[in-house]
Amino acid sequence: MFGGIPLTLSRRVRPTVAGILAGAVILAACSNTGSPDESSGPSVAPVSGTLTISGSSTVEPISSIVAEDFQALNPDVEYSVKGPGTGDGFAKFCNGETDISDASRPIKDEEATACADKGIHYVELKIGIDGLSVITSPANDAVTCLSFLDLYALLGPESQGFANWSDADALAGELGSLEGFGDSHAPYPDVALEVTAPGEESGTYDSFVEFAISKIAGEREQEAVTRPDYIPSPDDNIIIEGIAGSDSSLGWVGFAFADESSDSVKSLEVDGGKGCVAPTPETIASNDYPMSRPLFIYVNIDKEATNPAITAFVDYYLSDAGIAAVTEADYIALTAEELAATRSTWDSH
Amino acid sequence: MSAASSPSTADLVALRLRSGGFDWQSYVLHGAMLLAMLLALGILLVLLADVAVKALPVLTQRPLDFLTSDLSSRPARAGIAQGLVGSLLLVLFVAFLALPIGVGAAVYLEEYARDTPITRFVRTNIRNLAGVPAIVYGLLGLAVFVTLLGLGEILVVGGLTLAILVLPIVVITTSEALRAVPASIREAALGVGATRWETVRNHVVPYAAPGILTGTILSLARAFGETAPLLMVGAVAGTFSVHGGLIEQLTGPYTALPTIVFNWAGQPQDEFRSLTAATIVVLVAVILLVNGTAILLRNRYDRRW
Repeated sequence: MFGGIPLTLSRRVRPTVAGILAGAVILAACSNTGSPDESSGPSVAPVSGTLTISGSSTVEPISSIVAEDFQALNPDVEYSVKGPGTGDGFAKFCNGETDISDASRPIKDEEATACADKGIHYVELKIGIDGLSVITSPANDAVTCLSFLDLYALLGPESQGFANWSDADALAGELGSLEGFGDSHAPYPDVALEVTAPGEESGTYDSFVEFAISKIAGEREQEAVTRPDYIPSPDDNIIIEGIAGSDSSLGWVGFAFADESSDSVKSLEVDGGKGCVAPTPETIASNDYPMSRPLFIYVNIDKEATNPAITAFVDYYLSDAGIAAVTEADYIALTAEELAATRSTWDSH
Repeated sequence: MSAASSPSTADLVALRLRSGGFDWQSYVLHGAMLLAMLLALGILLVLLADVAVKALPVLTQRPLDFLTSDLSSRPARAGIAQGLVGSLLLVLFVAFLALPIGVGAAVYLEEYARDTPITRFVRTNIRNLAGVPAIVYGLLGLAVFVTLLGLGEILVVGGLTLAILVLPIVVITTSEALRAVPASIREAALGVGATRWETVRNHVVPYAAPGILTGTILSLARAFGETAPLLMVGAVAGTFSVHGGLIEQLTGPYTALPTIVFNWAGQPQDEFRSLTAATIVVLVAVILLVNGTAILLRNRYDRRW
């Protein structure tokens, strides 16, 4: 009589498993019915093939939009777009694992060497511009503009331990003699200095150090890093929340995030030596705003030679329909000349 | 006399009566525990209410579209179909791999293996493995399946990694269930001439079935909710498209519901807040479903002796 139990058990479990399997298969079928997009790209015969794209999480939304639209025009193409970070992306790219690498900074020398060692040839294409916004709380009325001098005094390697904005007054005074980094706005308000910003692994951190810290750090024979004592986060939304959560906060984040969150954080004007400039799409595109960075895609041209989908995809990326994804993803479009330069780089590679 | 060193029940009662009056200790403890329960419940309710409210725009405006659309960088078109498929396939993979191996290992350890230093060492290590952080299994999957075996970042690798992750939990819960079967059942079966295999198959495992089912299905729910190891072995936090049937799904890029939550929570556009919350609601609902199944199955096979 006990012998029956295992049998009934498997009989009862089977429909459950079959149900889950059937559900999965039905969903799989549904998920494949991608709706074709009405936006018109270059009218070429549909291609097929596989595209593997990885790299900067900043560029990922742009490449995702382009890939979605490209796939709608070329239904036989399979693709994946991931955003683990620029550095991780280049590691995979230079190991031959990906076709295209998204990057929020130019490739570093050691990464280029790694690519060369593996015999991987690539072409660098600038596709858009991202600005860095220095942000504080809207309640922080005392501050509207910070120069590179101020940013170094408040956030640079020598600012470690400054718990109050006014702690940086003396350092700002010392820095005052340096030329070309804007005027110091010291004395700073006598309020707590609470810093939330991207962590060291982030491309946004690298860009900030490069813009505001590295040159002054070089002059003062300091390491080109920020102060270590702040709240780091890889998630830009958490940085926004941290900045909004304190009346005297300070931090930096990608322009798209600050712009999206203009209700809860205040973007400061930045003086890079040519006066205070507010971050707007116009000032970033015209290069007047001193803290902007180019966004790139790197294309593996050895793979491109054998995979027509890559050629067609990059053609589409750089077409008017494709490059519109840059503004759709809240970044700033290249000027007409820069776009023409990128296109000719691609056409002549 | 022993009564002098350890007071008898009567002494305790007398002591109690003499100090007399209101039993405030019980009331304080009662209140504290009630408070602890309410606090836990309150946090859960606040969390769920917050997520549900944020999810409302998506769940009311495009519930079906949200469930059947692919991932997208455009919030108006983004859906979680690929995550649902990925999560279900991953859990199926785990079910078909980890459960037979885990239950088999537990039956061997409990019913066949002699109690030697080696088996004790194995048992201790399985317990330790159950406490290893999930990210470590992700690194293991990355090192072994993606890099060493060169399988690439495909769904099968995610399934294998999750299967290894839940294997120790399956072994432990099954062991506990087997150990809870009274020895008299085994002795009775062996006493009437059943072989060891007949005893295990016809008596011990059926009696332990409710416990085994509960444990294993809860471990499946665990696999359903894991993010970190999947990110290590290449679940897509972005967008992708795969064509074809089951084989292509298994050997192509994939994602899972928790991975989508992780990815969307980091997007700049405000619409993704609502999408993230809606995905959390679906994830919680699916896990509730899995846990509910576990309870139903357990009740169905509950046996008394």
